Amino acid sequence: MSEPTNTGTPQVPETAAPEDTKRTPSDFLKSVLGRPAVVKLNSGIEYRGVLACLDGYLNIAMEQTQEFGLDGQLKATYGDCFIRGNNVLHISSQAKRKTGL
Amino acid sequence: MATRILPLELIDKAIGSQIWILMRGSKEVVGTLRGFDDYVNLVLDDAIEYTPDPNDRTNIITKKLDAEILLNGNQIAILVPGSGGPDSLAQQQQQQQQQQS
Amino acid sequence: MEEPLDLIRLSIDERVYVKCRGSRELRGKLHAYDQHLNMILGEVEETVTTTEIDEETDEEIVKKQTRKVGMLFVRGDIIVLVSPPLRTT
Repeated sequence: MSEPTNTGTPQVPETAAPEDTKRTPSDFLKSVLGRPAVVKLNSGIEYRGVLACLDGYLNIAMEQTQEFGLDGQLKATYGDCFIRGNNVLHISSQAKRKTGL
Repeated sequence: MATRILPLELIDKAIGSQIWILMRGSKEVVGTLRGFDDYVNLVLDDAIEYTPDPNDRTNIITKKLDAEILLNGNQIAILVPGSGGPDSLAQQQQQQQQQQS
Repeated sequence: MEEPLDLIRLSIDERVYVKCRGSRELRGKLHAYDQHLNMILGEVEETVTTTEIDEETDEEIVKKQTRKVGMLFVRGDIIVLVSPPLRTT
């Protein structure tokens, strides 16, 4: 950038993707709400169920939840459950059914 | 004054391309970046998780996540935009070694 | 239900199941909680699960220790999951 525009504010770089192809975390959460989702915790435990609601800490209320251990085995089921957000590694939309690993 | 670039502007440029994420601890994730927010929560497509086997640290368990994910920014340590992660890095190094020999 | 904490609010005065870090589980009556998910539980049964490897057979031995506590405070940051236990299996 050769232009000496010394305005003190950083220039906004040209984005690699146009605005409409971006998907912010908030967009993602809106799209996954009320749908089947997989929540993986830092410990490796996975929860599959319907995402009832979320807040800004990624605290999650889930329905019809199945808990899977590190070995992938079903460990427990919960009608309703609350998952504390600080343990959440990632949330995945359950677009395609996973087969094994 | 040289044009300053804010750290997150660099990440913004990586939207639509591959990104390598090193988590706190020893987990790593590679995926296509779709978007992010101020907390550096990331939306990723075609993500692959790399987790060292707890029983044998030299064995890395890779897991393909075949749905879009929201990766919690809380556990993210380092982002490498434009990198395909540990596998592609190993390939690059091999190629370099082959060229040298 | 507007936010996840509503699920906790609806469980007040009910018996809940609380999964904590470090293979610790609690079952008790939820008396109070706050925004950090700090909790007061009453008539609590605490279960700690430990696994040991048998030196000779190399088999995993799972041990569950339980104890009863009349009333306790749980710091929110050790909590992983909360569920109303009546609906758990």
